[in-house]
Amino acid sequence: MKGKRSDQPNYVTDEERREFLKLGLKITGVLAGGSVLSLVPLPEDEAKALVEMEGYEKTPYKPHYVMVIRQNHCIDCERCKEACVKTNHVPDYGYRTTILEKVAEDDEGKKFPVFMPVLCNHCLNPPCVRVCPTKATTKDPKTGIVVMHYHKCIGCKTCMAACPYNARYFNEEKRAIDKCNFCWDTRLSKGEKLTACAAACPAHVRVFGDFSDHNSEVWKLVHQPDKAVWVLRPETGAKPCIFYMND
Amino acid sequence: MIEKGLKILICIVFLCSFMAVGIASGEDEEEYPQEPIIFTKPVKAVVFDHKLHVEDNGLDCESCHDDPFEMAAGTAEENKDFTMKSLYQGKYCGQCHDGESAFASNTRCTLCHIGVKGYNRLTGVKPKGHGGHE
Repeated sequence: MKGKRSDQPNYVTDEERREFLKLGLKITGVLAGGSVLSLVPLPEDEAKALVEMEGYEKTPYKPHYVMVIRQNHCIDCERCKEACVKTNHVPDYGYRTTILEKVAEDDEGKKFPVFMPVLCNHCLNPPCVRVCPTKATTKDPKTGIVVMHYHKCIGCKTCMAACPYNARYFNEEKRAIDKCNFCWDTRLSKGEKLTACAAACPAHVRVFGDFSDHNSEVWKLVHQPDKAVWVLRPETGAKPCIFYMND
Repeated sequence: MIEKGLKILICIVFLCSFMAVGIASGEDEEEYPQEPIIFTKPVKAVVFDHKLHVEDNGLDCESCHDDPFEMAAGTAEENKDFTMKSLYQGKYCGQCHDGESAFASNTRCTLCHIGVKGYNRLTGVKPKGHGGHE
C-alpha cells in the first residue's frame, strides 16, 4: 500500500484521511478518476472523539496489544464478563471489564439500547503509571500492557483516582489494586492468542491483536477510510488503546 | 339450621362456578400472552413481544404458529440450531426478519437482544456486586 499517492484514483492516503478527520469531516467515498472526495460532517461528539493516529503508529511495542470494539454488535450477553471472572478470579465486588449501557435513538426516533464494553485502555500515556508512588503499576516495555506488580502495591488507590476509565478496583484478597492485563499471566504468556473476553465473545465484538502488525485484523479495522473510529475520553491525552467503531 | 347451611353452600358453589366461567372467558379473550417472551438460550437474553407483532404489525397466530414456533414457550430454545446462523438462513425469526418482510436479522441487534441488563430489569433481578456505577 505504501508509496501509493492520492493522485491515483480510488485511493486515499492515511495522511489525507487524518487531515480530513481533524477537520471533522468523514470521508464517504472516492471520486473515480480524481483525488477529491465527497465529504459529510460527522456528528459532533463523534468528531471530537475521533482518533488522531499520531503516536499510535510508531510505538516501541512489539507486539503492541490493542483491542478494537465493534460496539453496535454488542448484545450484553456478558459472556466476556463471565470468562474474565473465571480466568482471572475477579471477585464480585470489582471488575476488570464490564458492559455499560446507554439509550440511543434511530432515525425514526425509536429508542434502542447501546451496549459499550469497557476495560483498561492500556494507554500510551497512562495516568495511573505516572501517579503510582511505588512503581507498582508500569507499562510493559515489550507489549505495552499496563501491568500490576501486586507485591509493590501499598493500596493507596491514587491510580484508581487517576484512571479516566474507572478500570481499577482494590482486591481485598490480594491487598492490592487489580485491573485488566489483557490476560497476560493467565493466557497470553502461555501461548494463547486471545484474551478470555475476546475468545468468549459470540458476536466478534472484541477484536484483539497486534497493532504493530499491519496485516492484523485490529490494524485493518482501524484503517478503513470510510469508517469512523473513536476512543473514550480523548481529551485526557492518555492515548487509550481501546478503539471503538460501529461495524 | 342444616337447611340454611345447605342453602349457603349451594349459593357459594353457584357463585364459584359463575366466577370460574368468568375467568375462563377472560382467558379466551386474551388471544396472545401479554407478558413478553424472554429467550435465554443460547445467549441471555432476547425479548419477543406478541403485542408489538400482532397489534402494530398485523400478524395473526398462524403467521408464526406452529411454524416456525410451537405455541409452548421455550420449545425453540431447546433446538441446537436456534442460532443467528439459522436466522440468516431464513429459519425461526429469520422467516420474516430477512430485510424484506421485516428488518434483517443481522441488523439492529439490540432491538431484540436486551442483554443481561434488560433481562434483569424485566425479571426484577438485582445485579450482584457493586463495581463501578452500575
